[in-house]
Amino acid sequence: MNPARVPSRGRTEAAGDLMLRIPCPHCGTRDEVEFHYGGDASVRRPAADADTAAYAAYVYERTNPKGWHREWWFHAAGCRQWLEVRRHTVSHVIESVTGQP
Amino acid sequence: MADVRLPIESHALQAFVSESIKPFLDVVLMFGAGHYYVSQSDKGGMVFGGNIDRHNTYAQRGTQWVAQEVAAEGVALLPALANLRILRQWGGIMDMTMDGSPIISRLPIDGLVMNGGWCYGGFKAIPAGGYTTAHLIARGAAHPLTTHMDLARFAEGRTVDEPGTGPFPWAH
Repeated sequence: MNPARVPSRGRTEAAGDLMLRIPCPHCGTRDEVEFHYGGDASVRRPAADADTAAYAAYVYERTNPKGWHREWWFHAAGCRQWLEVRRHTVSHVIESVTGQP
Repeated sequence: MADVRLPIESHALQAFVSESIKPFLDVVLMFGAGHYYVSQSDKGGMVFGGNIDRHNTYAQRGTQWVAQEVAAEGVALLPALANLRILRQWGGIMDMTMDGSPIISRLPIDGLVMNGGWCYGGFKAIPAGGYTTAHLIARGAAHPLTTHMDLARFAEGRTVDEPGTGPFPWAH
């Protein structure tokens, strides 16, 4: 497909690119195609002695916000580091990107 | 608010319509391995789509690299499609479950029944979904076709997981 033919209808000014552009703290701003998505970064593994309900929630249940979302991205075609991105799920604006501590 | 936490995330699925051409395809053609489908509308446009965008979103648009991937799958299946121009494209928000299968189930709140998480299969399967949901409401027990679609399957380790991709809603 010719990229020029992808319609712009529905795009916001803030997210003017045709795909996400993620500012990697190690490599600079790169296209989404260089990354693999890793999902909700707010979930935390329960204590080792937690019950199975806590582990089921950890594995399967997500808040799925319409708004700001903390999420993991793996820079597979760059520094190969996991990054934590704070992104808005409607505007796709990326507010911050941090490397793993 | 019922405040029931669910194994569901919102992801965008793109669809595309080409310019109109003479009769070319008289079936809905599915390319399962490539997650691609195509049919021809009565007006002659080719209607097709493929995989979801793979990151949580409520924006009804699509990311460009998936659009390119879908177009490439179409050309791999039907090389003649390479000559077509795409007229329009949009993104719809899919209720993607963690195992890629729907949930038809009673919820922890008495009297509350759920029919959702259809991922991108709802348009095709919802007549059966409505019939089996009515059965669940009327009789208080799941229809034999949907006993495996209860919400408890996640906590109890009975996920359906047809493609075997694990608890990642963007992988189905």
